[in-house]
Amino acid sequence: MKGLAAAFLVLIAACGRGRVIFNVDVLSFLSASDSVKSFNVLGGIPQTDSTVSRQFFLPPGFGKSSVDSVTATAAAALKCTGGSGNVRFDVFFSKTQGSVFTGTPYLTASSGPLVAGDSVQLLPPTSVSLADTVFNTDTLWVGIRARIATNVGPNMTGRLRLQNLHLRIALQDKLF
Amino acid sequence: MRTGVVAVALALLVLAPLRPARAQFSFDARRYGMGGVSLSRDGNARRYNPAYRAVKNKNHVAGAPKFSIPVPIGLIDFFKKHPINQLGHDPMFSPESAAFNPAALLNVIFNPPIFYEVKKAPTPTNDVQFTIGRNQLIVDLGATKVLIPEQDFGLGTTSRLLDAGVSVAGFHVGVMGFLQYDVKFTLDSTLRNFLTNDSTALPNTNYFVNTDGTAQTGFAPTVSYAGRLLRGAGGDDTDDGFYIGGALHYYFGATYARGIGPAGFTTGPPPVLGSKPAPLLNGNLYTSNKPFGKGVGGDVGVVWISGPFEVGLGANDLGAELTWDHTKIQRFFYNTVTNKIVDSVIVADTTSKTKLPITYMANAALQMGTGTTVGGDVLNSGRGTIIHVGVEQRTGPFAIRGGVSRDQRKKMQFGFGGGLRFGSIGLDVGLWTHSNSLSTQRAITMATSISIY
Repeated sequence: MKGLAAAFLVLIAACGRGRVIFNVDVLSFLSASDSVKSFNVLGGIPQTDSTVSRQFFLPPGFGKSSVDSVTATAAAALKCTGGSGNVRFDVFFSKTQGSVFTGTPYLTASSGPLVAGDSVQLLPPTSVSLADTVFNTDTLWVGIRARIATNVGPNMTGRLRLQNLHLRIALQDKLF
Repeated sequence: MRTGVVAVALALLVLAPLRPARAQFSFDARRYGMGGVSLSRDGNARRYNPAYRAVKNKNHVAGAPKFSIPVPIGLIDFFKKHPINQLGHDPMFSPESAAFNPAALLNVIFNPPIFYEVKKAPTPTNDVQFTIGRNQLIVDLGATKVLIPEQDFGLGTTSRLLDAGVSVAGFHVGVMGFLQYDVKFTLDSTLRNFLTNDSTALPNTNYFVNTDGTAQTGFAPTVSYAGRLLRGAGGDDTDDGFYIGGALHYYFGATYARGIGPAGFTTGPPPVLGSKPAPLLNGNLYTSNKPFGKGVGGDVGVVWISGPFEVGLGANDLGAELTWDHTKIQRFFYNTVTNKIVDSVIVADTTSKTKLPITYMANAALQMGTGTTVGGDVLNSGRGTIIHVGVEQRTGPFAIRGGVSRDQRKKMQFGFGGGLRFGSIGLDVGLWTHSNSLSTQRAITMATSISIY
């Protein structure tokens, strides 16, 4: 691993103080079943969560680098096929699996009230976090959560399809 | 981790193709102003051309100084920015410092701040982007791609550490010490493609640099002769004539080592970033078990001086091949199971041969009258040829100079300068472009020196 890091860093050294930027297609680390979640929740449930978390990788050797900024973008499509309620779509990042869903989500978007037959596009505002130590690591966990609240009545059924999840991590790159 | 990575980066950058053209380094501002041409008969002339032993050691140019003293203006600027009493905490020299920049440190090493840098070479500052996915790892180095060598790169030189002895009637008997090393690296096409063509890294793939390095040192009892074979029209009162020189060396190699093989890493199974790449090392190491590798070689040289014209040609270490009767061959490889470098002896005692590269220098100078002198030289000190051509015009106390050179990287460099003489003291200034920094652009150095007449 150090060999890979060294090879990268040797070349980056030639770039003077140019930044190192990771453009991470987080979605690609999720399986098909991870990125499409069907749900069927009893009516009248004030809050229930459907979650998935997966590990993804960054190039090794940058764990001690200082993160300048992290920009996260995501998009998801939600289709309600039965019942009614609302769904909140949250995206988390963490260094450990155990702490993925703690804290404030990096991205969040709410569907608003839904009834059977509705299809909505969830486009959480792009988040920008500065000097975020969560990303000072070679391996990260991403957590996707659909927080569902159903109205009294028939089961709320539907499907959440994650369409895009990208990270842009800019390092301060004080190594060079 | 940080120190280790920085150390590796430093080591490899030192060996990068953007290495200094050290053979051109000088403390003489006049030489800078003439594009690197030296008009003196000491230094390189005697080192590479044994015939110069018979030529009087003086400058070609009438009225030229006896010697020069550098005025290190660059050091003043350097120590102003890097106070000497704080060097221990200076980020430039402290890899642990967050502000440490190996590229900046190497630029100082490649280009010692003796003289003032009028224009510093900008280091490429483009961002480096990694595109990362489950089965994707692409590195976009941007403009920095141009720094990746297309062919082999490395370092190499042959040095004569001492040359002591006695001379009688043109004959010289003595002992010469030698040190030769040559390290060559070649990027494997897979690694090169990954770094330059924005192609993704593949799982279960070797990425490596082929390495071939040899170092040897020893001493050589030497018998040489240098003399004036023909005298010119000026007779003994002038240096005119045809000079020849030759030296026969019996080399005693003290020790040598040669390492050859690939070094790099092997990516794991998909996803490519999902597992740690394993170090890849699989090479052979040849070392001399006992000293006294033996061989014979020689130097030859000629010089012709006719009035204002002088030309010389010398070559060293012709036919110098050393035979090492006791060589051990070991194989080194990285065992991915134990995560250790394992070595095994392939052959405990065998014979091997090494060569000293032929080095040479050709030089010429012409005093054209009216204070104009034109000179040039072609020098190969073991790795790459350097060409210098320069001219000096003296008018009364004034001198103006200009020149061009082609450095070891085959880049053209330019020199310009002037001088002013006050009695027995003169002040010279030379401006010289160079590509000694980690940059694709040239820098300009202003050299200053005081000449003593």
